[in-house]
Amino acid sequence: MRKSHKGFVFALVLVVALLLSSTSLITAQETKVLRTAYLPGDVIIDPALGTWMNEIQLVNMMYIGLTTLHETTVEIQPGFATDWSVSDDGLVYTFNLLHDVPWVRYDMGAGEVVQVTDENGNVRVVTAHDFVYGINRTLDPDTGSQYAPTLARWVVGGMEMLAGEDVELGVAALDDYTLEIRTPRPAGYLGMIYGMWMSRPHPQWAIEEYGDAWTEAGNIETYGPYTVKSWEHDVQITITKNPFWPGTDYVPPAIIDDFEFVYLEDPAMLAAFEAGELDWIPTVPLPDLDRMRVEYPDELRITSDICTYYYGFNTIIEPTDNVHMRRALSMAIDRATVVAISNGGQIPAGFFTRPDVAPGLKQEDYPDMAIWSDPEGAKAELALYFEETGTTLEDLPPITLMHNTSAAHAIIAQAVQQMWKETLGIEVQITSQDAQVFNETLRRDAPAVYRAGWCYDYPDASSFIGDVYRSVGPDSNNHTNWGPQEFFDLLDEAAVETDTAVRRDLYAQAEGWLVNEAAAIAPIYYYTTQQMTQTYVDRTYDAARLEKLNTWDINR
Amino acid sequence: MSATQISEQPSTASSHVLHLGKQLADTTTRSPWIDALRRLRRNRAAIVGLIVIVVNVIAAIFAPMIAPHHYETQNILAMNSAPQWVTDVFPKMVPTGETGGYIRVNNDYILGTDSLGRDLLSRIIYGARISLSVAFVGPFFSLLVGTVFGMIAGYTGGRVDNLMMRFVDIMYAFPTLLLVILLMAFFRASFTAGDEGSIAYRLNKIDSAFGGMLFIFIGIGLTSWMDTARLARAQVLSIRQQEYIDAAISIGARDTTIIFRHVLPNILGPIVVAESMAIPRYISFEAFLSFIGLGVNPPTPSWGSMIADGSNALISFPNQAIFPALALFFVMFAFNFLGDGLRDALDPRSNKA
Repeated sequence: MRKSHKGFVFALVLVVALLLSSTSLITAQETKVLRTAYLPGDVIIDPALGTWMNEIQLVNMMYIGLTTLHETTVEIQPGFATDWSVSDDGLVYTFNLLHDVPWVRYDMGAGEVVQVTDENGNVRVVTAHDFVYGINRTLDPDTGSQYAPTLARWVVGGMEMLAGEDVELGVAALDDYTLEIRTPRPAGYLGMIYGMWMSRPHPQWAIEEYGDAWTEAGNIETYGPYTVKSWEHDVQITITKNPFWPGTDYVPPAIIDDFEFVYLEDPAMLAAFEAGELDWIPTVPLPDLDRMRVEYPDELRITSDICTYYYGFNTIIEPTDNVHMRRALSMAIDRATVVAISNGGQIPAGFFTRPDVAPGLKQEDYPDMAIWSDPEGAKAELALYFEETGTTLEDLPPITLMHNTSAAHAIIAQAVQQMWKETLGIEVQITSQDAQVFNETLRRDAPAVYRAGWCYDYPDASSFIGDVYRSVGPDSNNHTNWGPQEFFDLLDEAAVETDTAVRRDLYAQAEGWLVNEAAAIAPIYYYTTQQMTQTYVDRTYDAARLEKLNTWDINR
Repeated sequence: MSATQISEQPSTASSHVLHLGKQLADTTTRSPWIDALRRLRRNRAAIVGLIVIVVNVIAAIFAPMIAPHHYETQNILAMNSAPQWVTDVFPKMVPTGETGGYIRVNNDYILGTDSLGRDLLSRIIYGARISLSVAFVGPFFSLLVGTVFGMIAGYTGGRVDNLMMRFVDIMYAFPTLLLVILLMAFFRASFTAGDEGSIAYRLNKIDSAFGGMLFIFIGIGLTSWMDTARLARAQVLSIRQQEYIDAAISIGARDTTIIFRHVLPNILGPIVVAESMAIPRYISFEAFLSFIGLGVNPPTPSWGSMIADGSNALISFPNQAIFPALALFFVMFAFNFLGDGLRDALDPRSNKA
């Protein structure tokens, strides 16, 4: 999923301040309400369409996947499927589902969560047919799911369907509670992919009744521990406990009644937290970290993350169409300094794929493959560029470095700008755009250098380099315009390799190609997570960043 | 006869006085501009404003000599540092070493540093360049376009006047701030990706050379002249009624002569006053645009962008936002005071002296 600090809506602060003060009055003693915030940028909570971490967080609380990931080990565990079996050739997955889990929605008039009934008045329960419908809907090109390609490759007929062909998918309901998924090729992590948000059941009747408005509060039907209670677009979204979720060993029923998410810029978020108006903030503004460390040692928690911060190069516009230029720019980034500025214990990155995912790719083990910060090497590469193109520094076309608007990105961009100026003598122009506009710009015509981040969906290199750089073009997440077929073949080979050591070598080779030999991107650092939680919140920290909100409690 | 009549006009212009000076040397008549200057000198607030502005202009011009550091020099080891006196002024900023301390004390930087270890004072001094150039370019555009436009409309009258003023009305109908934001977004988006050799490409090159200010100038220039045009027209309409204009017409003076020799000097006073009062608006415009990220290109410092950067850590490092805000505050005040003083000095009806 993509990671970004979204937008810049300043007037919102005022609105939200009012909102906070009003809601805190309503909060009655008997209901437990956790007040928290998201960065501005309204969420999309259609499971087929979610891409941002915020969105997946909400979807995960409302639609439980076939499989889930363990909170600390990030290993696969049962979710909506109680158990599953894989055929000997690894091509057929059979999932046994939970029985009698009702679809629910929040009844605005009654002010409570109610079970959904069909036209005969019977309660609708989640069945394998809903999964079949959900997967078909995700892979329908008209739905426009950005995650469809991730799933399509692992479902028989998926790629054809996504290309617009009329084919039968290899997904079938053997009976109401048995789901079968067939894959064209085996891979070790497929159980996790089938558990992801784009593989969830969808309420066909609601989608057909409401169309695009089916995810609005009051319309949306869910079955997980939480459901949507209210949603004022761009202002706030509240999820409320679903009393009909039966609870399993792996996904227990919710404890806290409501989670209120308001949209705030991170400085406003922190101010509200310090004023006691928020109970949890999922991000801390970078300049405030030092003060948080001393003032709120118990509230602040810095944990490992699942994302990589990097710069991408557009390889079809001057001068970043030249590999020497890209290598020079990448090597001239002093990653240790960027990490020092960011001040959150981040780790300098030499590969795109994080070292803490399978198959355990560590840059120290492959020093020749990883890209390293090296001013002298950068100057040598720049000299090669000038030699090859027969130009001088004066002829250099203007280079734009673009980031989505955020204080943290702006600081890092200016630091990098200065490094390039000092090491290479290259002056770049920094521009920033609001997240939505920025994404559109990347799709249409990416600038020479752009800021990006990527977080894994399941802890495997396949979810890093394999998902982002296995394709190229406007509808993919690869905006570098770089992607030779041999590179794709290498990724495909690595994706299905079963021997871990061989697989690690294959991925190292691919990474070396991507970040070093071709230098299509410049990895900068591996993220850490900085969160603040009031001490009366009894919570856990999810290693994959998708917090298990249903296990949290408030003890005032 | 005509000479006395002219000198009795309340706001007679210097040009008239100059060629009449010899004839009237024996009388005690003084130039109204000298009078105005005398009145201005007696207005303390205006003089303080003027001094602040002059100091700022000097700082802006000689920034490389005055500023202790270059505005883009980063010192990562000293990032987010503050000198001792700043930590004394802001009790929340507790220096490291004390309990709950998190501020790196570094007395090499008089006002402290920002999150990239850049000297705040130097950036404020360089930032004056942006604010002051806007303070001069704004009125320049406005006077040039607005005055000429308004004078032509007012003097010509009739259908031309009607058409020209309806155009001003249309321009007024655009919400100025919104228009500037849209213009900036449009310029930025369409000029960054121009082909080499195209106009867009060249404009963008110029903009880069100006540190991103060209588009601010264009944005302000396109939206600032309407007020002046209306004012100039109204002034011209009232002056056209005066006898000395009839006299000029009767002796066969050409229109351009009348406009520029007889009308312009007489309407200049109110327009100068109006423009000097508008300067703070231009400055805050630029600060606002920079604040929302549509202003100058980083790392060029502008007070607006510095306040925006600083506001991200307002609680931890208040100095990073407050010092540039103070600079902005003082300069805006200075221009306001000076504008007030000029109005009092140039408008004889409010003449208290």
